[in-house]
Amino acid sequence: MTMIQTKKLSKAYHDNEVLKSIDLEVRQGEIVVLLGPSGSGKSTLLRCLNGLETLTKGAVEINGVRLEAGMKNRAFKTNLLQIRKQTGMVFQQFNLYPHKTALGNVIESLLIVKKMPRTQAEQLGMKMLERVGLADKRDAYPSKLSGGQQQRVAIARALAMEPDILLFDEPTSALDPELVGEVLDVMRMLARDEGMTMLVVTHEMSFARNVANRVLFMDEGVIVEEGEPESFFRQPKTERAQRFLNKINQH
Amino acid sequence: MELVFENWELLFKGAYYTLYIAVISMFFGLFIGVTVALARLKGNRPVRWAARVYVSVIRGTPALVQIVIVYYGLVDYGITLGPLTAACIALSINIGAYLSEAIRGAILSIPKGQTEAALATGMTSWQAMYRIVLPQAARVAIPPMGNTFIGMLKETSLVSFIAVPELLRSAQLLIARYYVNMPFYIGIAIMYWIMSTVFSAILEAVEKRLSKAY
Repeated sequence: MTMIQTKKLSKAYHDNEVLKSIDLEVRQGEIVVLLGPSGSGKSTLLRCLNGLETLTKGAVEINGVRLEAGMKNRAFKTNLLQIRKQTGMVFQQFNLYPHKTALGNVIESLLIVKKMPRTQAEQLGMKMLERVGLADKRDAYPSKLSGGQQQRVAIARALAMEPDILLFDEPTSALDPELVGEVLDVMRMLARDEGMTMLVVTHEMSFARNVANRVLFMDEGVIVEEGEPESFFRQPKTERAQRFLNKINQH
Repeated sequence: MELVFENWELLFKGAYYTLYIAVISMFFGLFIGVTVALARLKGNRPVRWAARVYVSVIRGTPALVQIVIVYYGLVDYGITLGPLTAACIALSINIGAYLSEAIRGAILSIPKGQTEAALATGMTSWQAMYRIVLPQAARVAIPPMGNTFIGMLKETSLVSFIAVPELLRSAQLLIARYYVNMPFYIGIAIMYWIMSTVFSAILEAVEKRLSKAY
């Protein structure tokens, strides 16, 4: 079953075309890693999928709900909300709400969007914090948590809405090296869970290699190459992917 | 100076009106300020434009002129307001413009990622504004709003012009009765100063608490 699909998706800022007619398809339960040099459009593609960026041309379809460039405002908004309820997103900068505790962050949208009673929301919220191993931090404010812990709370917050799809936008890029592991561990755990579809923008090659079902390599707004991680990393077909991997392997 | 103490009752009544007008205007000004700030940030083109004109006109004209327009000017259209009501309306409209700027700045200072995180979990942009952005912006806006309030406390003296019996007007009444100027003027100056200082101290304490991390 197709979970994510884009059709001739283009995104431009003024004259600068960041995404050029992208056709993407992700099936349910797939773990797809987006690789590519910075400025290649990976994050923009991810942000188009849940409508944080508007579409210049083309369409996005998430679990059967469609967003189209130039769609009527009202229909667009309805579909957008529906899509956002089915997708969770994890950001590079965590974006935890600083005025709420860890648990408060996790349950906020349960209370506001799902209108869940507080006790029920807190129960579910605690379950999510347990999944990311931070149940003991329920009353801690984000400023008292390490970067890795903050990102795990952010993952719990995304999970709490029980999405079918998780979008990760460079989730470990803002972390100190020694904190990257704990976040990747949580992501690996999620990848093992049945049914969760994950689209991950990352520079963590080991994660891409070991966890992903498929790797997409982007450059200058197009998907240049895609394939199974093993063959992609061993024998990239395109010259651009070879160059990219060479550069990374030099370090 | 004895005359000042002998007439403390009238002067205190004046101080009461001064505070009353300042607090009431601040309260309604806050409503106006939030509304106008949101109108400028989230409204469509005509709404944004109207809000901009409002702020520009109010900040670009003397408060005294605004007060006489509300009190004397509206009479031409059959709207007769009591001096106290007119004072509160004029000053609310006045302070609302200044507060809206402070609030707008505070909202803009909250990182975009906060809104994006809220939207990504399915909130509407209004829910994100009320639940996530405004509570954080309030903290940022409190110091400038406190300063605006202290400024307003002194600006209330302008409404003596339309015969509201606030502090300055009380002094003028006493001067007319006793034919001495200085003691009463000095007396009310001290009273204004004490009120401003007290509020400044309160504001400072609040700021100190706010400066602590969440």
